[in-house]
Amino acid sequence: MNKMLLAALCAAWTVQSLAADTLKIAITGPFSGGSAPMGTSMRDGAKLAVSEINAAGGIAVGGKKLQIELIERDDEAKNDRGALIAQELASMDGLSGVIGSVNTGVVIAGDKHLQEKGITKIITPAAGSASMTQWSKAGVADLSIFRFAAHDGIQSAMVVEEAITSKFTKVALLHDATNYGVSGRDDLLAQIKAQGDKLEIVATEKFNIGDKDMTAQLLKAKSAGAQAILIWGIGPELAAVANGMAKIGLNIPLIGGWTLSMSNYIDNAGKNADGTLMPQTFIEAPITPRAKAFIDAYHAAYKVDRIPSPVSAAQGYDAVLLFAAAVKQAQSADTKKIKLALEDLKEPVKGVIATWKQPFSKWNPASEQSHEAFRREHVVMGRVKDGRVVFAKDADQQRLMKQAK
Amino acid sequence: MEIVIQMTVSGALMGLVYALIAYGFQLTFATSKSINFGQGELVMLSALISLSLQNLGVPYWLMVPMGLFCGAGLGLIVERVAVRLALEQKSEGWILMTIIVGLFGFSAAENIWGRDDHPFPTPISSDAMHIVGISVTPVELSVAIGVLALMGGIELFKRKTLWGKAFAAVSADRDAAELMGISAKKTIMLSYGLSGMVAAMAGILVSPITTVGPTMAAALILKAFAVAVVAGLESGFGVVLIGLFLGALESLASFYIGSGWREAPGLVLLILALALRPNGVFGQASIRKV
Repeated sequence: MNKMLLAALCAAWTVQSLAADTLKIAITGPFSGGSAPMGTSMRDGAKLAVSEINAAGGIAVGGKKLQIELIERDDEAKNDRGALIAQELASMDGLSGVIGSVNTGVVIAGDKHLQEKGITKIITPAAGSASMTQWSKAGVADLSIFRFAAHDGIQSAMVVEEAITSKFTKVALLHDATNYGVSGRDDLLAQIKAQGDKLEIVATEKFNIGDKDMTAQLLKAKSAGAQAILIWGIGPELAAVANGMAKIGLNIPLIGGWTLSMSNYIDNAGKNADGTLMPQTFIEAPITPRAKAFIDAYHAAYKVDRIPSPVSAAQGYDAVLLFAAAVKQAQSADTKKIKLALEDLKEPVKGVIATWKQPFSKWNPASEQSHEAFRREHVVMGRVKDGRVVFAKDADQQRLMKQAK
Repeated sequence: MEIVIQMTVSGALMGLVYALIAYGFQLTFATSKSINFGQGELVMLSALISLSLQNLGVPYWLMVPMGLFCGAGLGLIVERVAVRLALEQKSEGWILMTIIVGLFGFSAAENIWGRDDHPFPTPISSDAMHIVGISVTPVELSVAIGVLALMGGIELFKRKTLWGKAFAAVSADRDAAELMGISAKKTIMLSYGLSGMVAAMAGILVSPITTVGPTMAAALILKAFAVAVVAGLESGFGVVLIGLFLGALESLASFYIGSGWREAPGLVLLILALALRPNGVFGQASIRKV
């Protein structure tokens, strides 16, 4: 009797899993710890897109409507966790793709397992250059990894440009000791050179994750006469830097990577965060109908009045839309076919950040740009004001409003 | 020159927090020759409880005594759960047990408050004041005042009250004290309660500067161990001096040698102290009667 019941249950389960027309996508990122605002916002933005697609019936593939099923994995921003998760996902049956990753170190530790099995992944919002240059440096002929984030090449160019147009001549570089911080520092150095060596670097200082006292680093910058601090790090340590600057009376601009918009930077630094400048791909301001709809939906769905990391949320949302468009074009849930479709998206995808026309092209080992979606025109400068990130430049806002029309 | 003074002062103020936590080790070591290896978790748990009290609307100045009370309670729990049985059996089981209780506290904190760091509100201003060319914040000064006041208070208690005298008696010779009618058990409980209170004070004082989260005490506790070992496990005055010294040294090292070398001088100091004065700079060599 028991055996029969078991057999029946097994049969029912198999039939069900065959009959269920689902598309399995994994979302990975740090949902806890110092990087959590980015990880959770990305996940929640992605979930919003998924629930909209599912509510509209799903993705039409071969006469069937596929519902998206999400698999969530918390990598805790730890490289070893990231590698384990990537291995698990690489051997998972019927997985169509992976979206996520916040930390460059995690990307470097994990993505090789996905690439080995040819599993399509869209990296968002990890911005460290090394995540993609590792593949062009290795010269791989075919790549299943795409990136949907304003990579540090673009961001460092904007940061350096900002310092030069502000007529600064002496700057201090601060960065954390992670892969992200170190590769950010190298990008900044390269950009300063590329933009004509107009900035003199009077101090280069680093700090570790978890450091709270930045007095030594900041005093070095101060005594060397730095006019601005260019910085690459994540929320909690960035806040320690801003608070330390206020303490020693170092009133110079803090300009750095997009992580300066994280809620744990803005909250922990309080009023010391005001005036911080950073490149952003999305600003939580309802300046276009599309942005308004997205922001309202996010606030309503997660019961917040401020998105912890608006950039991550918007990128997570748009990444799912791109993925879904690729599935529709490929007419398949097969990850390899989806990859080919992503490399040649025929129809423009209307996202919340922009309308994406052919964001990716066939992988070219000579230039990782082929798998990078963001260009300079997708990125704006943001500024912290009263605990929120606003447009730093009117011109950026006007441009986005014009594009939306 | 100004920079040297600035770095020394900033570092020394943080060093006082190491000293306070180290003092917590001394209190229990004096009476029971045991220390709580989960002391860092007591610091963290008390700080998180205090944060929750504030979020519930308890005003700061009422929250401080409530937080200290909770800390003392946690200290008593550690004593009951992890230490008492091991001491009764004259075993060293308390080492592992206090570590286990600490780990348990850490998991509990992660599950209750999450893994994120939170800002800790305080009515004390964190705007810098400039005194003869160096900047200090009132929050940093409050750390110094709080540490010295609590340590001074406990030292007075130990010297002037009956319970304090019992404390000293049990420290000097447990068996003789018992024969004189002093309950060693109660004295040890008292020392753990005080030690927990000291941990809570450290948590409440340092949180506005470092933010509060489950991992907040991980770095602090290591430094506090170093301070306790270098100073010796007997001298309250010694931990303050060594704490100030270690804090200043760290901060100067990160400025002059490089920010990556911050911890190095403290560790060198620890090795030197263990090699040259194993009982601590201010400790007395124990007399062993054969």
